[in-house]
Amino acid sequence: MVHLTLFEILIPLERVMKKKQGKKIVLLATTLLFSSLSFSDMAVIVHPDNTSTFSNAIIKKIFLGKQTKFTDGKIVIPMNASETLPTYDAFNDKMIGKSRTQINAYWARLVFTGKGDLPKVLSSDTDIVSTVSVNQGAISYVDSSSVTDKVKVIANF
Amino acid sequence: MKILKTISIASLAFALASPTLAEVRFSGFGSLVAGQTLEDDEKLNADFYDVGQYENTTTFKAESVLGLQVTADIAPDLKATGQLLAKGTDEFKPELDWYYLTYQAADDWTLMAGRRNIPMYYYSEFSEVGYAYPWIRPPSNLYWWQVTQFDGFHASYDFSTENYTNSVTAFYGNEYSNDNKEMLYYAEIGNRQLNNAAIVRVDEYWTDIAGFNVNVIGDSFDVRMVYFRNDRKRIDTNVNGETAIRASASGFSQQFYGIGGNINIDNFTIIYDANYVEYDDDVGTVFPTYLISTVYNIGQYQPYLSYSKADHWQTKSDNDKDYEEHYMATIGLRYNLSSKASAKLQFDHFEDEGDKATGWDYHGNSQTVSAAVDFIF
Repeated sequence: MVHLTLFEILIPLERVMKKKQGKKIVLLATTLLFSSLSFSDMAVIVHPDNTSTFSNAIIKKIFLGKQTKFTDGKIVIPMNASETLPTYDAFNDKMIGKSRTQINAYWARLVFTGKGDLPKVLSSDTDIVSTVSVNQGAISYVDSSSVTDKVKVIANF
Repeated sequence: MKILKTISIASLAFALASPTLAEVRFSGFGSLVAGQTLEDDEKLNADFYDVGQYENTTTFKAESVLGLQVTADIAPDLKATGQLLAKGTDEFKPELDWYYLTYQAADDWTLMAGRRNIPMYYYSEFSEVGYAYPWIRPPSNLYWWQVTQFDGFHASYDFSTENYTNSVTAFYGNEYSNDNKEMLYYAEIGNRQLNNAAIVRVDEYWTDIAGFNVNVIGDSFDVRMVYFRNDRKRIDTNVNGETAIRASASGFSQQFYGIGGNINIDNFTIIYDANYVEYDDDVGTVFPTYLISTVYNIGQYQPYLSYSKADHWQTKSDNDKDYEEHYMATIGLRYNLSSKASAKLQFDHFEDEGDKATGWDYHGNSQTVSAAVDFIF
């Protein structure tokens, strides 16, 4: 979906730029733009049998510990990517709207007053996909290239 | 309540000894804080409850703290939590500060039983976790009570609407604070006597503490309201071992009202907390207090300004206003060293506006510089 939209933007953009600059530069710019954007195409995934309705607001609530059940009534098990994966910052930035520090300060308050438990952490996309594929309540996020047919994509970011 | 302590600790010990039966999680927080006042005769109470003070020589002991939390899942929906706290004011001697059980009775009902902080002011429940707020400390001239913890029960109900996440918590408990550190400090600086002999121990009892919190969290703001009441009793012991109930601080109840929270507007966070404490004593004692603070969030930097004011009136006396009164004006900067550690530098001006004639100006003015590194793990 992201690529399609990009094409729609880039084709007219390329036409405009061709008039002003050499073709080589435009191609280089297009390639750079493509590689960086396709890299940031990430997916929020759940178990394939999960028929709940989702929105970005619901996903945000789940990962802030404010919503503990899916709309189908099942208990939510949110799982974070390890801080070493690029998906971690991208998810917090685009879906939660908080920096690492803000997220940690938010959870410090909940954890040390006994009002919340940090989501579990998984260390690789492979781990995340295999864990989500066998847990009906699981919800996590991976790079889109790691998605298999054993999980269901409910949002892209 | 001794039973609760035994159950909580036994559960934790059991969980630690049999890791295959229970999932055990360790986490912690800490603050290394150094500070001093600028002038020779100045003193700042940075931590009233534990009498953490800054004077004109640099000290790390007034506010440095290390906390270790252990949480164990001991049965489905049942957790035991213990918090071990080592504070500089206690020579870093570790104490089991919190211990409680949490039972998830239903998806939206949580029950807790055990020892925790009284949810008084907005930051009361996590006032030791420096990493969780912008300043070096929540303004100490508001967080001045001699009792901060209690043994009790909490029942929380969570509910959310489309745009808000809400919770209501009711709590009940008691605190028998024997040999209260803050009260003994006041007895000592005031040369208090019982039967013409120096007081060497003060017991402070807050009983039938009963109240509730209401929390509403929206996308760019949150509001927390609190009400509770309790009965008060204070017992002095002198150097000869004689004891007596202190009439001026016993036999009445107090009510605590408060509203506080955060508002986020672009890069600014506004933090507010307004509180009103009322005794039903003969002189009609009330303590109106408030805090207003602005934090500017720019990258890893958070410069901030705060103003906190505390008053003490006797609404039924002829002289109703000439008692304790002070404000604290603060400027500081937080810098996030990593996602789990921050450094802070802060300047506090404490202005004692207490009445000189009645001796209520006993804090004195002070200017204090402090620096901190806060972390979580």
